[in-house]
Amino acid sequence: MIGIVVVSHSPALAEAAVALALQMAGASPPRVVVAAGAGDGVIGTDAARVAAAIDEVATEEGVLVFMDLGSAVLSAEMALEFAETQHEVRLSAAPFVEGIVAGVVLAAAGAALDEVDREASGAMAAKTAQLGGASGGPEPVDEQGADAGAAVAEAVIVNDVGLHARPASLIVARMGDFDAEVTVTDADDPRRTASARSMLALMGLALAKGTRLRISGTGADAAAAVEALRALTAEGYGELG
Amino acid sequence: MSVAVSTDQLVDWLRRYRALVVQNQELLTELDSAIGDADHGSNMARGMNAVAEKLDGATQIDALFKSVGMTLVSSVGGASGPLYGTFFLRFGASAGAVGELDAGELSAALRAGLGGVVARGKAEAGDKTMLDAMIPALDSFDAALAAGRDLDAASAEAVAAAAAGRDATAPLVARKGRASYLGERSAGHIDPGAASTALLFEALAAALGPAA
Repeated sequence: MIGIVVVSHSPALAEAAVALALQMAGASPPRVVVAAGAGDGVIGTDAARVAAAIDEVATEEGVLVFMDLGSAVLSAEMALEFAETQHEVRLSAAPFVEGIVAGVVLAAAGAALDEVDREASGAMAAKTAQLGGASGGPEPVDEQGADAGAAVAEAVIVNDVGLHARPASLIVARMGDFDAEVTVTDADDPRRTASARSMLALMGLALAKGTRLRISGTGADAAAAVEALRALTAEGYGELG
Repeated sequence: MSVAVSTDQLVDWLRRYRALVVQNQELLTELDSAIGDADHGSNMARGMNAVAEKLDGATQIDALFKSVGMTLVSSVGGASGPLYGTFFLRFGASAGAVGELDAGELSAALRAGLGGVVARGKAEAGDKTMLDAMIPALDSFDAALAAGRDLDAASAEAVAAAAAGRDATAPLVARKGRASYLGERSAGHIDPGAASTALLFEALAAALGPAA
């Protein structure tokens, strides 16, 4: 699993953002270390602390670093020169809160550095799409029904709150168990579709109770993955009391 | 006329810089409150006060400036930490494990520091940053040396050029740092980083001058 470092001017800001993410990351979250503040309650960042945090969480799978703004970026860039780890360390351009949440959730599902970075960096698109902006949401997904090894199922959302943050994180975590590309589509409005690996894209669809979902997958474990997601949806994502 | 600059003179530079930063702390913060987050004076004063505790017993120039750079990186808090920190780290690395620098070596070390700031901040001249004081200061310093002037005179030229560069940031629109969030509204104010850089050259000239 990759390691995650969160760089902020403010320890309170960083710790709250991490708490928000860990709430949705399930039982086996990635290691997340905060490097925030410049000591003695000073608002600011410290490249030496960032470097120490990178070395603390570094694994063979790499390290993803989230930063708030301004000197946090400069300090993180400088920390790359001080850190001793030989493993890959990447600075994420993701928006702070959305990126940390999406990144931690996907990292918990065992995704690789590349995929976590891409998902976190696309976090703004999901929000923009949800607000009706120009972007159509992250990663438009192709129709995959004709592929060999493809699996398709349908399920209706039955829990009261619909496919909100917690179910979305649950889906991402569950999909981590399978070697499959799974997409979730509103069967009555096929333009509304998202990867089951992207918590923010799933949330961005704002799928309400009663929505009929088409779940389609490709890959070695497609049938099992699609069935798992169908069952999860039919069971109301564990929210049926 | 000084032919070489000793470690002691460089320590004196840093002590004088600290004194100037502390004296001008309120002015720097006032400039930063106009276009930034109102912490440049207190950040730099905290950083240089921390540096002042690391200066006793310095002999080798590279070790001295490595310690200075790392102390700033860890104590300033704002973007000036990595920027000034990189300046001094590169200055020390260029100087090497020696106890004195001749004029050319001092110039090379200052240039290495400037290169570090450019690489770290990804800014260029005219972006309304510390570079707008530092680049003209080093250009004037080198031009004076090339014209056969001594270090005392060359550093005085650098002071004048840094001050002019600082003042010339007033009409500019910021393109880097916190001030860039203000866009056009950043025009009309002197850049606080350029102001603290002008002090750095004032301190250098004082340390290299005959009174030192």
